[in-house]
Amino acid sequence: MLKLEGISASYGAVQALEGVSLEVEAGKIACLLGANGAGKSSTLNCISGVVPIRSGAIWFDGQRIDGRSIEQIVRHGIAQVPEGREIYPEMSVADNLVLGAWIHRRDTKQVRNDIARVYEIFPRLKEREQQHAGTLSGGEQQMLMIGRALMSRPRLLLMDEPSLGLSPVLVEKLFEVIEHLNQTGLTILLVEQNAQLALKTSEYGYILENGEMAFHGPSGELRSNEKVREAYLGT
Amino acid sequence: MYGSLTRYELAWPLVVVAAAVLFPPYLNNYLLFVGSILLVYAVLALGLDLIMGHAGQFALSHVAFYGIGAYVTAILQSRYGVPFPIGLVAAIVVSAALAAAIAVASVRLRHIYLGLATVAFAAATHWVFEHWRNLTGGVDGMRLPPADFMFFRAVGDAANFRVLAVMFALILLATFLLVRSKLGRSMAAIRDSEHVAAVSGISVARTKMWVFMISSAYASVAGSMLFVFNSFISPIDFTFAPAVLLLTMLVVGGMGSIPGVIVGAFLLGILPEVLRTVLRNYLVWQEFVYGLILVLSITLMPQGVAGLFKKLTAKRREAK
Repeated sequence: MLKLEGISASYGAVQALEGVSLEVEAGKIACLLGANGAGKSSTLNCISGVVPIRSGAIWFDGQRIDGRSIEQIVRHGIAQVPEGREIYPEMSVADNLVLGAWIHRRDTKQVRNDIARVYEIFPRLKEREQQHAGTLSGGEQQMLMIGRALMSRPRLLLMDEPSLGLSPVLVEKLFEVIEHLNQTGLTILLVEQNAQLALKTSEYGYILENGEMAFHGPSGELRSNEKVREAYLGT
Repeated sequence: MYGSLTRYELAWPLVVVAAAVLFPPYLNNYLLFVGSILLVYAVLALGLDLIMGHAGQFALSHVAFYGIGAYVTAILQSRYGVPFPIGLVAAIVVSAALAAAIAVASVRLRHIYLGLATVAFAAATHWVFEHWRNLTGGVDGMRLPPADFMFFRAVGDAANFRVLAVMFALILLATFLLVRSKLGRSMAAIRDSEHVAAVSGISVARTKMWVFMISSAYASVAGSMLFVFNSFISPIDFTFAPAVLLLTMLVVGGMGSIPGVIVGAFLLGILPEVLRTVLRNYLVWQEFVYGLILVLSITLMPQGVAGLFKKLTAKRREAK
């Protein structure tokens, strides 16, 4: 479904990615691991079109999408859940969701239905519907960010460290949600620091080191790989 | 969803119009003049707040568009006999077009550089006002004829004030509508997080351009309003000083809050009049008082009057 062929990207003189290749099959969960600054977020932002690539190619559903505008890429069906607590704090929960459906803004009926669907997945958001998003707890804000990304009706969801700053109980819940979304047919590319959980949840894993692909393989194999265990799983 | 207006938002413009109809007979010419200035400031401040408070961008070019609005309307009427309503629209078109050109040219600039580009534009415009003597009269300024409203003959300060109040009411209504529109929501999205807005499919560059155009058009309308009740304009009216005063209005009132910004514009607009009577022989202290108000406002109420009000009502609600 998604295929990155040797993409490179840089911020000014700083090289962020060097010849990164990666593939996500339709209906699967793939994870992208690596230390801070290894280029995980840059990879997602290249896919979303936020960061332009210098060389290589990005394919989605057989079409080349690199060089297209961010908006076009969202319209193709790729949504991003950014890193951190990137919500609109001064707006209500409902308005945050409405803005996630920007590309469908003319179809108010569909937007209403999709909001109801998001509330089914996250009943907690329904309770806080009219509250300012800035007053939500960390876990609730993460749910809101996922809900907002779903509002564009993506087929591929890019998630950037969704477990960041969440308590262990919430992290477990979060991964249940990720698996649930995947079962409804959503393809997911998951960027994580929590390598243990990410490799358990995904089918295929990639590990970046200093902007280059260091390891990749079925998640089960990566988990038993000696070097991966040492560097990323701490065992 | 992109909600319709609340009852308050519909009521306020009507209150303004009603006040404008009722009060003028009780006001002398001086008070009418002060009232007119306050309305002009309010429109200027609302326009600047669109880009700073609602979209989170920075611009110092409003004073230039304010001048363009005044000069275009004035030149069209006094030199070519074009009545005020047409001059007003022409000024809006000229301002919006110039704003679009600046936006296109500076699309690659961010943060402080965008601010500097707008400062450069303001300086260049001021230079044109001073040097295009055949048209603007240069530093000697321009005597203005009474505004020709085309549809009716208005004589005197009371009638002018009423026209300005109606214009202000319309601008207020437009602002409420704009903030609740799709464009208004996308503005707020960009203010809160450009990254999220972008990956939600909102075109950041296009939204910024629209906001800049609309907000510059507000300043242009304020300039045209200045033409209505003034008999004289000169380049001095459009220097850096009013630009700073305008910023102070937003800071004191509370950026991003429509009532707050109007209160800020009224407070700081009326201040020179108050100081003139209170300080009288110590007018040199006026600038000092401005500075003091700005510093106190930033330290004591960083969210401005609007933020202070919000905090107080929240406390009262908690007490219950």
